[in-house]
Amino acid sequence: MEKRVFIKDTNHVGKKERTRDFYTAFLAQLRERKLENDVQLIRVADIGAYNQGFVVHIYPDDFLYSNVEMQDIPRMIEESILGGKKIDDLVCHHISKQFRIVLRNCGVIDPRNIDEYIVHDGYQAIEKILSGYTPEKVLEELKTSGLRGRGGAGYPTWLKWQFTRNVPSDQKYVICNGDEGDPGAYMDRSVLEGDPHSVIEGMMIAGYVIGATKGYFYIRAEYPLAIERVKNAISQAYQYGLLGENILGTDFRFDLEIRLGAGAFVCGEETALIASIEGKRGYPRPRPPYPSVKGLWDKPTVINNVETLANIPVVILQGGAWFSNIGTGASKGTKVFALTGKVKNSGLVEVPMGTTLREIVYDIGGGSASQAKVKAIQTGGPSGGVIPEDFLDTPVSYESLQKLGSIMGSGGMIVMDANDCMVDIAKFYLRFCVDESCGKCTPCRVGGTQMLNLLERASEGTGKREDIEKLKKISLAMQRASLCGLGQTAPNPVLSTLRYFEDEYLAHIEEKKCPACRCGALFRYSIIQEKCKNCGLCAKNCPAGAILGDRESGYTLDQEKCTRCGRCFEVCRLGAIFRG
Amino acid sequence: MKKLSVDDLSAMRKELKKKKGSWIRVGCSTCGIAAGAKEVFDTLKEEIQKRDLKSLEVKQCGCIGMCYAEPLVEVMIEGMPKVFYGKVDKDVALKIVEKHVCGKMLLNDRIYDAKRSR
Repeated sequence: MEKRVFIKDTNHVGKKERTRDFYTAFLAQLRERKLENDVQLIRVADIGAYNQGFVVHIYPDDFLYSNVEMQDIPRMIEESILGGKKIDDLVCHHISKQFRIVLRNCGVIDPRNIDEYIVHDGYQAIEKILSGYTPEKVLEELKTSGLRGRGGAGYPTWLKWQFTRNVPSDQKYVICNGDEGDPGAYMDRSVLEGDPHSVIEGMMIAGYVIGATKGYFYIRAEYPLAIERVKNAISQAYQYGLLGENILGTDFRFDLEIRLGAGAFVCGEETALIASIEGKRGYPRPRPPYPSVKGLWDKPTVINNVETLANIPVVILQGGAWFSNIGTGASKGTKVFALTGKVKNSGLVEVPMGTTLREIVYDIGGGSASQAKVKAIQTGGPSGGVIPEDFLDTPVSYESLQKLGSIMGSGGMIVMDANDCMVDIAKFYLRFCVDESCGKCTPCRVGGTQMLNLLERASEGTGKREDIEKLKKISLAMQRASLCGLGQTAPNPVLSTLRYFEDEYLAHIEEKKCPACRCGALFRYSIIQEKCKNCGLCAKNCPAGAILGDRESGYTLDQEKCTRCGRCFEVCRLGAIFRG
Repeated sequence: MKKLSVDDLSAMRKELKKKKGSWIRVGCSTCGIAAGAKEVFDTLKEEIQKRDLKSLEVKQCGCIGMCYAEPLVEVMIEGMPKVFYGKVDKDVALKIVEKHVCGKMLLNDRIYDAKRSR
């Protein structure tokens, strides 16, 4: 087989006849030219393009064509397959804009084998630095690169390092923050599991620059595989002399240890994280002093997120100028997002900053997973907010997302469709923060609970008009007076849903209706007897036994027993279940 | 093993880069394992051994990011496009060895991504 041709119908899901007809026609034309033994035609499950008709990919020439029609088959065979020439008017332009820096080795190397990391330019950055870079030179590269913290706040990494470097002390520390706690976010886990050495190398470089000889991985205990792989990676690095004393024959020394987090969300906050490593209760403390002055055991400490650290070796190897060419405005490089929710292709995506949200959700994610339209996306987890579909053309950057009332955060991106209720979403995130509030300061402890009560009232149909004002007022108090980031940002999901979807709140409070039919107290299911053909499918599928009757006498729905799960609504093929 | 110096490390990297050959990689991060990657990995290893395909290496790797299509198996056979098979189970794994590795033909309806192999 000299050539391979991949085909995929990117418009229709489940319409196999269309693909079959196209495939058969293509094959017949290949046979006509006696090419069936030289060209293999393959139907693929995914081709990286969506809603662009038939997409055809020709190997090894790497021609990607979209919106291909039946009549294009002969010229594709003549010109591209036999002639090796690209047909310009068929070329596909909407392809995935992924660009991998952080995930460069994830899924490429065996994370349990240090040699595979070394072969992919691993430990080459530290080698370069120890062969003649001063700490100032490294800082200079980082400053040029414009790399900012990927944990959410976006503080310039070089500045954080410089502050810590400038504080005189007999001992300093580097901490890797692997306490990833946002619901639906798993970027850091994937990096730790798939490429632990890149994070180790990033920490070594941080240690060299600030003058620290000791580093700690803080990883949550819910990530057993990540812990196992990091442990293994550390021991391999020791064996090779890449950790310990006299690294690579120089007098640089660096030791690494792992500390496990017990899963408290607040421990992702740096001062609480430090307390947790010290063996104390994971309480945040007021800043300043910042950890760069007084951190772990009161010594100057740099805390960086996993993703930030994984960027460092690449910045050094490729140079700060190269890195600063990727991205937009004040946000340089790439960002990894965990794309989840009602999207066709959930998974990890890494895109250059400045890529629009629409490109992420539609060109990479393939758009909505169901028939329902995408309504909004949620970024930044419990500290972030929702961004409605109208704003999806916004390019991703720290500033642009903040302007929309959300934040970049650590990289969770949850897609929501018309079946998601915004009051319900706000309630979900707020409950998360209420559960995770450490209880130390009053605004967060009391404010969160009060807000949750108001939201619960709204979703139960007992809300009052003035509740919206109350929500806004408590939010403001929490933002201003809470001790740490958890409390300060906890009202964000409520405020952003109020900002864009106030009509949904009003529908709950004034009309006592849930437009998306999610809040159980505000809608009901019933059987439309005129449409019902007594098939019994709903009764068979009802987990609560709320549909009574039999095939002879027909069915009725017992409202007392109904749990509003919606199973009957989904399974009924006749549309005989009423919802509202 | 002795501690590496700067020169040792670059010499080692150079030496390791020379290694070529065909391979199969199975995504074995938490997401892949939860979807059944370990069984797929074991099946592939066993089958390769049974057919005595010594030059073919079966490896584990981290998460490539296409979580919707786990378990993922990437196959690179010299002279063929490098492809990702998604939603692989035991049967598909056996077919990969039989048709792709031995028969040099790609499988229909299972490929999620493809790249030119070098």
